[in-house]
Amino acid sequence: MKLGVIMSDYRTGSDVIDRLTAEKLGIIFVGNGVYHAASKEAGKASSILDKTNNLYVLTEDLESRGLTSANLDSRVKAITYSDVVDLIFNDYEKTIWL
Amino acid sequence: MATKKLLFVARSLPYKTEASRLALTHAISSQSVEIYLKDGDLVEATIAFVGDGVMNCLKNQQAMKHYGITSIEGHMKNSLLLDMKVMICKEDLAKFGIKEDALLMDADDIGGEVKAQIVPYSEIQKEMESVDHLLFC
Amino acid sequence: MGKLTIGCFSSLVGSLSLDFSIKLAEAAVAKGHTVDYWMSGNATMLSKKGQKAFKDYSHLAKPVQTLLATGKFNITACEACAAARGYHKEDTMEGVKSFSMDWYLASTFEADRVLHIGGD
Repeated sequence: MKLGVIMSDYRTGSDVIDRLTAEKLGIIFVGNGVYHAASKEAGKASSILDKTNNLYVLTEDLESRGLTSANLDSRVKAITYSDVVDLIFNDYEKTIWL
Repeated sequence: MATKKLLFVARSLPYKTEASRLALTHAISSQSVEIYLKDGDLVEATIAFVGDGVMNCLKNQQAMKHYGITSIEGHMKNSLLLDMKVMICKEDLAKFGIKEDALLMDADDIGGEVKAQIVPYSEIQKEMESVDHLLFC
Repeated sequence: MGKLTIGCFSSLVGSLSLDFSIKLAEAAVAKGHTVDYWMSGNATMLSKKGQKAFKDYSHLAKPVQTLLATGKFNITACEACAAARGYHKEDTMEGVKSFSMDWYLASTFEADRVLHIGGD
């Protein structure tokens, strides 16, 4: 299964991602999920970033929270709503919201 | 003639939000979906309870007594009465120390024939792979 | 071009998840896709007419009207969820339909993709 996960929260949902398996997994950080992509706790990046190489963050939600691409973990690509639509239609067969 | 399969994955605790209740009521509504579709076309819904969501499956919920609203248990029972597949994650039950006898497992008392299934997470993962669309609540 | 069905349980005010879903719908329609949009639970607040656009609160009535004008966007509220909140037919925004939950499941039948935002 090619699965896209739209991660909208910072404190919940990691448990779901931890045990999901997919032939291709993509994680799109939106809403408060952007903190996974742009913050560190005790100097450590979010462990979710180790789950796949296909990591994206919604620029609008990053900037709304006072963050920029300069804050981003180097593994995460900043994208637009238009890109989210393309990922949903072209890259993943199913998309879930956490 | 075609059947589209949906899997509702309920991972939220009951009552504080409507998420698990709406997962069940939406899944149950698959029973009347034909009115919108061509003859022979169907939408088949399954529901899986994972993580904190397994708490929705405890029996003896008394929401009607205390709040005057239907219990999640009642909706689970209706889904079993309608022969829907209901899956409960075994590992998550074990994590909370919940045994099968504490769960709503059937709808025998209202004429249901299908039982809820306690399954390893790997079975739920397989179901996720086999359906057309995934709906996490 | 494809069909995207979005279902949302989140409220108009108090969560930006509904804003996300409408912005996603706008982006999908702009690319030529069609969108079926289902409001259930607290999301039915979006169906209410007379929303006033205060800057402190999300206000999505205008984007919904713009989307409806494209002819590529259908929006339906869960009838029971809305009525339970006191939103009746006469309170509903122009262009917004009202059906029971099976409408949403039927919409998924022909959808190429489904995004279900199951509540905050």
